[in-house]
Amino acid sequence: MTTMYADEIAPCPPRAGTLYDVLELILDRGMVIDVFVRVSLVGIEILKIDARIVIASVDTYLRFAEACNRLDLERDSGSRTIPELFGAGAAKSVGKRKVRKAAESVGDSVRKAVGGGDDDDSDGQEEQHERPRKRRAPARDSSSRRRRAEA
Amino acid sequence: MTATGVYVYAIVPTGEPLPRKAVGVGDPPAELRLISEGPVTAVVSDAPPNLRARRRDLMAHQDLLMRLTDTGPVLPMRFGMVAADEATVLRELAGSREGHLASLRHLTDGVEINLKALPAQDALAVVVAEEHQVRRLRDEVRRRPGYEASVRLGEAVAAALSRRASEAGKKILRTLTPMARAVAAGPEVHGCALNVSFLIDRHDSDRFRIAAQSFADSHRAHVELRIAGPLPCYSFVPSRPARATAAGT
Repeated sequence: MTTMYADEIAPCPPRAGTLYDVLELILDRGMVIDVFVRVSLVGIEILKIDARIVIASVDTYLRFAEACNRLDLERDSGSRTIPELFGAGAAKSVGKRKVRKAAESVGDSVRKAVGGGDDDDSDGQEEQHERPRKRRAPARDSSSRRRRAEA
Repeated sequence: MTATGVYVYAIVPTGEPLPRKAVGVGDPPAELRLISEGPVTAVVSDAPPNLRARRRDLMAHQDLLMRLTDTGPVLPMRFGMVAADEATVLRELAGSREGHLASLRHLTDGVEINLKALPAQDALAVVVAEEHQVRRLRDEVRRRPGYEASVRLGEAVAAALSRRASEAGKKILRTLTPMARAVAAGPEVHGCALNVSFLIDRHDSDRFRIAAQSFADSHRAHVELRIAGPLPCYSFVPSRPARATAAGT
C-alpha cells in the first residue's frame, strides 16, 4: 500500500532545490539587524507557496465534492465493492488529479509573484526567461512590489 | 553601485573562506566580499539597484547560505537586509560582537531541518472511507445532488483533511523533538497544519531525515510531510541581536 502511494506521487516530485518549501523561512526568519534596511516584500504572497495546499473556499469545496463524485462514478462503472474501490489506484488518481487541478491556479499566481519563473525545475533557464517576460508585461510588476532598498 | 548600499548575507567567524565561485544577488551576480571586525565577519556584496524578492535573488541568497553552512557556523540574515554602507556594517559587528559570537557557538555543527505537514490530498478515497461525516454527506449528495449539498460535502472533506493532518503533525512533533537540540515554530503557512524547524546536529541530520521520512511513509493517508534540509539555521538566530542605537541615528 505504501509503495503504491509513493509511486503514484512520483509524477509530482518535490520542486527543484528547496526554495519553495523554505521560502517563508528565507523571508520571515533569519537574522534581522535593526540598523539595516529591509527590502520591502509588499505584494508578495509568500504564504501561498504551495500548489497543492487546501484552500478553504467554496470553490475548493465544490472541487472536493466533485472529486468525491468521481470516486462514485468509478464505483458504478466498475461495479466494484467499496473496499476494492479504495484499494484501486485508478480511483485514487482520478480524485487526486481533480484536487491537484483545483489548487494549480493558486500556485501559478504565486510563482508569478515570486519573480516570474514558470518552470520550477530549471533554475538555470529561469534567468533567461525572467527578463524578456518582464519587458513584455511590465504592468504585472506593479509599483507595490518595486521599491528601493536604500537607506 | 555602492550608492544603493551593502547587501548583507550572513555573519560568520573570521577566517572562514568564501565558497569557491560563490556569487551574490543581482544581475549580473554581485561579487562577494568580507568585512571583518575582530572575530566576526560579515559576508556582503553591493546591493543591486531595484532589489526585490525575485526568484533569482532568493535563490542566490539561499545558495550562498547553504554553501557557507557546509563549512562552518553561519548566522544567516533574512533575505533583503541592506546596510547603508560598509561603515554601518563594521559598527554593527563591533557593537554586537559578543552576541554574534555566542550565537555562532550555539549553532556550531548545527543545521536546520524544516518540516511541513500538509493535508494528504491524495488520500481522498481513504478520507471518504474512514470519515463518517464525509461518507454521510457524500451519500446525501448522491441521493439529492445540488449546490448546497456539494458545498457541505466539500467543506467536510476539507475539514477532515485538515484535522487528520493536524493530528498527524502533533504526533510527528512528539516523535522527532527528542532528536533535536532545539525546536522552533515556523511562520504560519496557509494550508499547512504544521510548520516547524528543528536544530539538529549535523552528523545526526541523516538519521533525523530518515526518521521523519519513515513517519511520512507510514502516515500517508493522514498527512503529507515536506522535509527540507539540512538548511542554514534561519529559525535559530536571534532576530534582534543588534543594539538599536548602533547606527547613531
